[in-house]
Order: sequence, then structure tokens, then C-alpha cells
Amino acid sequence: MLQILVYGAVISAIYAMLSVGFTLIFGVARILNLAHGSFYALGAYAAYFLTSVAGLPLLPSAVLAVLFVAGFGVAMERFLVRPLRKSQLAVLMITLAVSLAVEQALLITFGSEYRNVPSFVADKVTVVGVDISGQRLLALVVSVLVLLGLWLFIQRTRLGAAILAISQDPEAARYMGIPTDRIFSTVMAISAGTAALAGVLVAPFLTVQPSMGLLPMVKAFAIVIVGGLGSIPGSIVASLMLGYSETIVAYLISSSWTELVSLVAIVVTLIIRPAGLFGRRAAF
Amino acid sequence: MKVRAIDIGGAIGAVALLALAPVLGNSGYLTGVLTLCVIYAIWAASWDFMSGLTGRENFGHALFIGAGAYTAGFLATVYFANPWWSLPLSVVVAMAFAVIVGFPTLRLRGPYFALAMLSAAAIMQRLMLIFWEQTGGEEGLYGLEPLINSPLHYYWFVLAVMVVTAAVLMLLARSHWGLILRAIKGDEATCQAAGINVTFYKIASLMISAAFAGLGGALYAHYQLQVSPPLFSVITSITIIIMVYVGGMGSIWGPVLGAILLTLLTEMLRGFGEYRLWIYTLVLMLILFFLPGGLVAPLWRRLTGARS
Repeated sequence: MLQILVYGAVISAIYAMLSVGFTLIFGVARILNLAHGSFYALGAYAAYFLTSVAGLPLLPSAVLAVLFVAGFGVAMERFLVRPLRKSQLAVLMITLAVSLAVEQALLITFGSEYRNVPSFVADKVTVVGVDISGQRLLALVVSVLVLLGLWLFIQRTRLGAAILAISQDPEAARYMGIPTDRIFSTVMAISAGTAALAGVLVAPFLTVQPSMGLLPMVKAFAIVIVGGLGSIPGSIVASLMLGYSETIVAYLISSSWTELVSLVAIVVTLIIRPAGLFGRRAAF
Repeated sequence: MKVRAIDIGGAIGAVALLALAPVLGNSGYLTGVLTLCVIYAIWAASWDFMSGLTGRENFGHALFIGAGAYTAGFLATVYFANPWWSLPLSVVVAMAFAVIVGFPTLRLRGPYFALAMLSAAAIMQRLMLIFWEQTGGEEGLYGLEPLINSPLHYYWFVLAVMVVTAAVLMLLARSHWGLILRAIKGDEATCQAAGINVTFYKIASLMISAAFAGLGGALYAHYQLQVSPPLFSVITSITIIIMVYVGGMGSIWGPVLGAILLTLLTEMLRGFGEYRLWIYTLVLMLILFFLPGGLVAPLWRRLTGARS
């Protein structure tokens, strides 16, 4: 039982990191970013490259990896997404194209075999009577801190207020003199950075391989649907729900069935409550 | 748009060229490549019927293709059925998938449909790997029998199916039905206000689209004589979308030509190996930026002086 509690918390935290970024950029800029999973994969690969190939120490590599992916996200938004923002379909296509290009680039550069990233913390830790690797615990703690920081940033700072204003009414925000384009870049950096950080944190205990971004993105999408597109609290609650349901299913039935949980969650939510738990509008 | 003599002439000429090419080229390799071209053309046309007309882009067409192909695979390896059963049954299975995914997502506006299709196909691909004892996992299912033994005759059969598919879809697209689908693309709320059951039309057209995609999947399975998980992959779906974009969305025949051209291009680029997908994505990006209307259909209209 306790094992479910602890492991479920770790998975939920990682899912929350991924889905908050996904929902944030949608809520603010109305960009449905299909390249979100590739930020996650790029983060993991950047960590692998910096530690194992370039031989840098762990902490600087992690920071560099996150910064690199954040920069990549900003560049993608500026040069590929922004010129096409008029059409939502074109945005979907271009972000999907980016995600395929990234996956292919990773495949060509690093090959299809699994890569290992050294753990930040090697020891095993015992929490409430459950043995857990230090790396998983670190992933949990860092994610919670980052999410708290993000929450404070959005609620307490001027920039955060501007982000909220745009998500509520972009036109009115622009009339108030908020530089929307610059805010989009900021949000994209946050979104890509958190996804990359999730990738860096899980890299030591999950497999690092070129197509690793697709499934987490599907999960993030499921979470965002359940929580309500564009709602941050919604996606955190939904992350906990999905993370724990997957852990419970894995323990009770088999880990093969976990993939079905997110699909069932999407279908059930869309039938019963299409707006999601905390969504404001039923359909866009 | 009126049907002009030059359009009909062009279509007959193109089909005749496709039918004669393997005889003139006289090579088994060319017949194989052209079979693949024509199967992709079926997929592109079926994608265009639903997504091109209603504007609800389907990012998981591979779901229906894979469903059709695996139906053929299971029939052959588990039930040892006559291979001709694959065709009707794969159509039924693909349509069932369309209802399951379409019902919850197509009632809504916005990006739900695109994302749900993407996820459904991705998860099916995973399930094929997870239940490897039944599905053969990474290797897939082997030992399908060809529908027709002679590759050339099979090519002609697939070509005939493609021509019928394209003709049926184009007739539907030009009918009252197609008009409603185009109206839904223009303004869904107005259609609803005019008393049109928008959800019914969207789901029904997705079922038609899925039916032809599943049929193409079964034809593909009996051409390759095996089925494997990459059929469900995002790459399969995106390849088809790129073909439609190149051909010109919403015209049905444009995507058919787009599919044939791009499949031939893929064969020519085979030497580039793993860089092929890069070239594909580059083509997509260039088209999105510079030719939002596509390449084939607008070019033909301009060459023949049609006013669209």
C-alpha cells in the first residue's frame, strides 16, 4: 500500500511537470504544442550528452540542458509557430513536424539504442518504510518545488499577472499595453524548460531513446483533457489522478495495462464532462 | 466547381498511364513501387474526404490503417480464413474504431479530435507491442496469403479499387452531403442553427473515411504479406497528411496524385536512408510556409485555366 503511495507520488509529480507546461502555453498563446514531448526527450538527451560525452559534472549539465531546451522552444515559437499562428491547424502541423525532426535528429546522432544517464543521488532512501532510489525521491522533491515556484511566480509577480491577463482575454491585455509577443516567448521558455527538467530528472531511471517523447506527450494530453485545457490547478489534480491510477493498475493487474488508463481517461472525460474538471468552456 | 472535359480527360489519361506503366517499364520492381503508390493514394483520398472537407484534421489515420491490416493479419494467421474475407471485415473493424473514437471527440469543436486520434493510434501501437503473444510484437504477424498471385494482376486490382474509391469519394464530395461537410468547415454553429445534425455528418464521414483506410490497410497487408506495429505509428499518419497537403486539401484527386508523386519520390530518395524523413518534414514546412493551398491541384487548375 505504502509503496503505491510513494511511487505514485513520483510519477504524478513528473506528469504534473509535463502537463503544466503543455497547458500553460495553450492557455496563454492558444498553441497546441505537439512538440512538447520532444522537449522532454531533448532534455534527457542533453543531460546524457553533457554528462557522458562532454564529461561535465551533473548539476551544471542539468542546468545547461534545461537552458538549452528552453532556448530551443523560444526559437521554435519565434521562427516556426508565430508566422503561422493565424491557423490552428498549421500550428499543429508545424509542431508535429518539429517533433518528428527532433526524433529523427536524435536517432541519427545517437542511434536507436538505450542510453544511460548517471544518477544524481546514488543511495537508496527509506521513506515511511518504503525503499526508494534517491533519484526518484529527488525527482519528486524538485518537481514539487518547481511547481510551487511557478505558482508563486504566476500569482505574485508582475510578469505572472501579465500571463494571467493574456490567458483571460488576449485582446484586452494587448490594449492595456502588455507586450503579448514577448510574454509568449517567456511562457514558451517556461513550458519547454519544465518539460526538459522532467526529462533530465527521469533520465537516470527511465530509458533514454529517440522516441521517448511520444508517450509522455500522450499522457500530458490526457491529463490536460481531464483537468481542463488551459487550467493549471486542473492539470495538477489530474496528474495525481492519472499517476495514482496507473500505479494502482500496475500493482493490481500488470504494468502492461497502464497505457490503457490514459486512453480510458480521455474517452470518459470527453463523454461525461468535455470541459474537464476545471475547464472554463465546454468547447473552443 | 463544374466537371470539365479536360479534367475527365486528364483523369483517364493518368489512370491509363498508371495501368500501362508496369507493362511498359517491364520490371517487377516498378510494379511493386506502383502498388505501394496506389495504396497510399487510397489512404490519402480517404483522409481528405473527412479532414479536407470538414477541416477536422485527423492526426491518427494510422489507427484505421492498422486496424484494417491487423484484421487481415489475424484472419490469416489465427483463423486461416480465405484471404478475400479480409476486405469486408477490415472495413467493418475500421468503421467500428471510427465510431469509438469519433463519438466522444467529434461532438466537440476544437483540437480534441486531432489529439484524440493521435493518442489512440499511439496507444494502439504500444498495445501491439505489449500483447506480443497475440500480435507477434515487434515482428508482427507473418504468413498472409496474397489475394492474387500475379503481382501485375494484383497491381491492377489495387488500381481498380483506388479508382473506385476516388470516384465514390469525389461523387460524395460533390453531392449534397459534401456541401454540408464544407459548410461545417465554414461555420459549424450556423449549420447547427440551420437544423443540420452536425455530429451525425461528422461521425458518418469519419466512418466512410475509416472504411476506405481500413480497406487500404487490408490491401497493404496482402501486398507485404505481413503486418507490424509501425503501421499504427505517427509517421504513417503524418506521411499521409503531407501527401494530402502536397496534393491540395479538399479535392480528393489532388491528394491521390500527391500520394503517388511522394511515394515515387520516397523510392528515389531511398539512397538517403535515415535522412528521408528529414526531407519529408522539410517538404511539409516549406509547403506550410509558401504553398498553403498545396502544389498539385492548384497547379493543374492554373495550367488548364480553371476558375475554382
